[in-house]
Amino acid sequence: MDLLFKFFITNGFLLDAVGVIGLGLLGLAAVRLSQRYRSWGGSLLTIGAMLLLLGRLAVLVIPHVMTPGLVAAFGHTAAEIITLAPFALLTAGLAGVVWGLWGHEQWLRAEH
Amino acid sequence: MTFPPDVLPLASIGAMRPVFMIVMGAFLLLTAWRMTRGTSGWTPRILLTGAFLLAVGYAVVMPLYQAGILVPLSQVGPATDDLASPVLWHLVKVVSMNGGWLTFGVGLALHAGLFETEKSPAPVEAPSSSPAHGPVI
Repeated sequence: MDLLFKFFITNGFLLDAVGVIGLGLLGLAAVRLSQRYRSWGGSLLTIGAMLLLLGRLAVLVIPHVMTPGLVAAFGHTAAEIITLAPFALLTAGLAGVVWGLWGHEQWLRAEH
Repeated sequence: MTFPPDVLPLASIGAMRPVFMIVMGAFLLLTAWRMTRGTSGWTPRILLTGAFLLAVGYAVVMPLYQAGILVPLSQVGPATDDLASPVLWHLVKVVSMNGGWLTFGVGLALHAGLFETEKSPAPVEAPSSSPAHGPVI
């Protein structure tokens, strides 16, 4: 029970992997939409999904990479910027995904 | 032009981000609903389920965490006697965000036909022996 608890909840490896896989699928589907169907929302959706994927991976990786020694080597300001950059990526990515989905919906409406 | 000091923090990033996420979550659900309106089958159901999970995660759970009403699991001390509520909220957050992206991604992949084999763009024709297409003698 304790092992399962740690695996699923404290570390959250499986669910994080599920989220990253879902974002990858979203990006692939958006590429397919913009390439095959020439939907302009698909391009925005692709950009948004890629930004979200980058931000999500950075959020998952940075706590393991940014050791105190590395922080001292970068200096305070640079380390702060690197730590906060994923959240800017996530914000921009969310905006891109929502805007792209809206554009794709408008495209569907115009097409049919 | 000067602002009163208690208004200025409302325009900061820390105050705008929850509002942004609430608006984006609601708009995502609305757009997905408009997109799948009038269609039937499993694709719109999966897409709407994903959008609903994401809307719950972005519009309800994440702003509560950012407002400090819910305490993240990593900041709860191990000696806390009431561990069930932070763990359950953490579970709600993790499942709604990650599961939401997975369901939404699968739904959009089905919508885009990602799992279907693409037909060959070149038409395959049997060699015709009719004189109209035959070599001119």
